[in-house]
Amino acid sequence: MRIIPLFIIAMGLIWVGVLESGASSVNDFKHHASGKTLDKQSSIRRFLSVGFVGDLVVKKIISDGRRTIILKGNENFLAPGEVSTDHVDN
Amino acid sequence: MRKLLRVGSASTVWKMLLMFLFSGVTFGATGLGAMLLMILLSSTHLGKDASAKHGISVSESSRLGGLAIAIVVIIYIAGLSAISPYTPGLMRNDDFLYLWGAVFFCCSLGFAEDIKPDFLTPTLRLMAKFAVFGALFWLAPTFIPKSLGISVIDFLLSVPFLGWALVTVFAVGFINALNMADGANGLVPGIALASFAVFFAEYGRPMDGALLFACSIFFFFNVISGWYFLGDTGSYGLGAVLLGYGLLGVVDGHFSAGFMAALFCYPCTDFLVSVTRRWRAGRSPFSADNGHLHNRLHQFIKVRVKSGVMANSLTGLVVSGSTSGVVLCAYLADVLPSDSELWYLLFATQVLLYLTTLRYLTSIQPKTQYADPA
Repeated sequence: MRIIPLFIIAMGLIWVGVLESGASSVNDFKHHASGKTLDKQSSIRRFLSVGFVGDLVVKKIISDGRRTIILKGNENFLAPGEVSTDHVDN
Repeated sequence: MRKLLRVGSASTVWKMLLMFLFSGVTFGATGLGAMLLMILLSSTHLGKDASAKHGISVSESSRLGGLAIAIVVIIYIAGLSAISPYTPGLMRNDDFLYLWGAVFFCCSLGFAEDIKPDFLTPTLRLMAKFAVFGALFWLAPTFIPKSLGISVIDFLLSVPFLGWALVTVFAVGFINALNMADGANGLVPGIALASFAVFFAEYGRPMDGALLFACSIFFFFNVISGWYFLGDTGSYGLGAVLLGYGLLGVVDGHFSAGFMAALFCYPCTDFLVSVTRRWRAGRSPFSADNGHLHNRLHQFIKVRVKSGVMANSLTGLVVSGSTSGVVLCAYLADVLPSDSELWYLLFATQVLLYLTTLRYLTSIQPKTQYADPA
């Protein structure tokens, strides 16, 4: 039974990174929609949440995802309210 | 608590500190969480493997590494889908849905084997893999490459039924090759890590990012402690993902077939050489033995290194680093365009290096230890 609190801690820590990645992505869309430029500087909060390599990963996901209306099925970001052509075709 | 976290001798404490340090610096709080999850899963009784049963391992370990990677990836992707505009490929594209269906099936097949070894006979497992990949390529023919740069193979692939059959056989062979190569700490995890780094650098897909993250944490854990194996869940599951992404990369023209051959040189070459060696010795091509290059390299290293775990990890690092690691470095340094056919030259060099090293190590090691042909 003592394993359960440790599992909860592990899941909570993983969620810190999930929330940070998700929040960064949502912020980027908001900035993008309002025509503002994205702040490229890494914050201390992001560094603590996702680390040195994770920061590079999150940045690339955001920057690629934003401009990716990718070919045939590669994962992409859809802006709120946007409908991909794949959805329409299928 | 101490037992759950395996805290015992001073060396164990150092290993734990190192693992948490690497995961914390590279992936922050998320890395620490993933590492803690892996440690907890490795300490459960489920999927325990005696040292003598798995490759060159010297300690009792868990075979649930693949499950741990799957849990971390699912948490990350599910979370990102829920709180951000990200839509996973399998939710909006049929080809990706079929691919991830095949991955799930392969993971389930491996998980059954990890929990209860020999639960399914080898023939049944092989047939199941043929069925799932046959169905995948039948339903999603976009995964079948049209051109590999070799005219004879290109002609065969262009014949619809023959192309489907060839790619299905290749897929099953690839999954088995990756499973067969999973015999040293950091070997298959290293190959997977390098491959996901390449895919992530090329496409920037969140799924590749999540796989890169989970494989990195597992890689640190596996190399430093040796307490954890990918197991069949991991080798079948990662094999299916790498196969699907690799084939799509070649079909889309982002990567040449030569690039993929160089990236996955070790498992493919080792598989073909091992099958040939067993066939020449009059044994079943799929029977286990200790004649793989990584087994022989480990024999060579372990008499020169004190620690059993370090010898095991060094073996895996040398093999994965000198094959997939070199391809990753060459790709990141932009030595050649990823769609260049010149990658075949690197592949040929790697095969030559493999054969030369194997020949040398075979010549200096006792023959009776291995199942060599007479």
